[in-house]
Amino acid sequence: MRYIEWAVMFVVAGLGIGLANFVGFDVNFMDSLPGILILLAISLVAVVISKLVPLKLPIIAYCSILGLLVACPISPVREGVIEAVNKINFTAPLTMVGAFAGISISDQIKSFLKQGWKMILIGILVMTGTFLGSALIAQIILSLTHAI
Amino acid sequence: MKKETFQYPSLKARIKNEYRIIFAAFVFILIADAIGQIEIPLGPGKLILFPIFYALILGVLSGPEILKFFKKKEVKAASKLVIVAICPFIAKLGINAGASIEVVLSAGPALLLQEIGNLGTIFLALPFALLLGLKREAIGATHSINRESNLALVTDLFGPDSPEARGSLSIYVVGGMVGTIYFGFLATMTAAAGIFHPYALGMASGVGAGILMASATASITAVYPDMAAELSALASTSETLSGLTGIYVAIFVGIPLCRKLYTWMEPKFAKLRHEPSEVLMRKEEKVEEA
Repeated sequence: MRYIEWAVMFVVAGLGIGLANFVGFDVNFMDSLPGILILLAISLVAVVISKLVPLKLPIIAYCSILGLLVACPISPVREGVIEAVNKINFTAPLTMVGAFAGISISDQIKSFLKQGWKMILIGILVMTGTFLGSALIAQIILSLTHAI
Repeated sequence: MKKETFQYPSLKARIKNEYRIIFAAFVFILIADAIGQIEIPLGPGKLILFPIFYALILGVLSGPEILKFFKKKEVKAASKLVIVAICPFIAKLGINAGASIEVVLSAGPALLLQEIGNLGTIFLALPFALLLGLKREAIGATHSINRESNLALVTDLFGPDSPEARGSLSIYVVGGMVGTIYFGFLATMTAAAGIFHPYALGMASGVGAGILMASATASITAVYPDMAAELSALASTSETLSGLTGIYVAIFVGIPLCRKLYTWMEPKFAKLRHEPSEVLMRKEEKVEEA
């Protein structure tokens, strides 16, 4: 994707966040706007970095690291960033993700049904095992290091 | 550096191909967020339904196999838009992590080591897969949570027509269809069981699939609203670590471990099912060739 395509699509995503935050949580668009702009700016910088740096990391890894940096205690803009972004409710950015994700798998329904009950059951167990395995190790290490 | 090849000749061409998807997404947001969050008590816990689920279902229904509103090429375009839309969300979680950096740092050792816990899938799902009669498909199916990068890896390692790649693809499809809703449900049920500290659940939510992490994190922050900031910080850090390490864990640990356990367990399960063992048959073939 060209930068201009990323930029325009991020604006679309930003409008989606603003709409969800308004419809779902009654936050009017002007109150959401500063937070949205911060999130879009971070996303765009992440895209630029991922294109310039030869290291092949997923774009969302850069989004996460940049977000952490601008909000960490040594960042001069920490307070303002945290306050603005807190106006965006946690699930507001997700509705649009769900819409796109749903459309992107909408040609797999027949293939899904063809998998049969065995594969569906195994899929459920794969997710359960991944989640519980992590939770178990996290719990043990947190206890051993007295973090909880 | 390799020159990037573009999917569309220009921005205009992209908009022309994708404006219906974007328009539909706004309509889905209107509907889904107007319905809002619904909590259904279920057993010891509750099933929490989020607007993301309704939007996902509306998207699936509107595709070429049911309502036929979208055509194949739009379906293909939508998967790239998922990445665009999830970037601002991940940035928000990164900011949460920065805001709660003390919690993240104090949980550092646990955060790093719990990545190994993602291999829990092998120990839980592989024996069941063998019990149900799967053969080498089971290796692809159970070695990891099987999102895009894992599917690509297995296809690359074993070949696109291999049983392993078929197994991986199956779980990829199942995860896409039911994963988002199930993962949220799993998180609230585990929270209701009360065995794990909420921090452990936050870390467990990050499994290397953004949308699954989002669903699980939304669920546990709804169960523990007082700890919402810390939990999403831990989830996002764990997700980032999984994103960075996931593929290497699969190459160097997940797949070799899965193959070892398969070779060891498959003959036993085959005997239990009164079936010929795939592992032993392959060994015999090798002996005969020699």
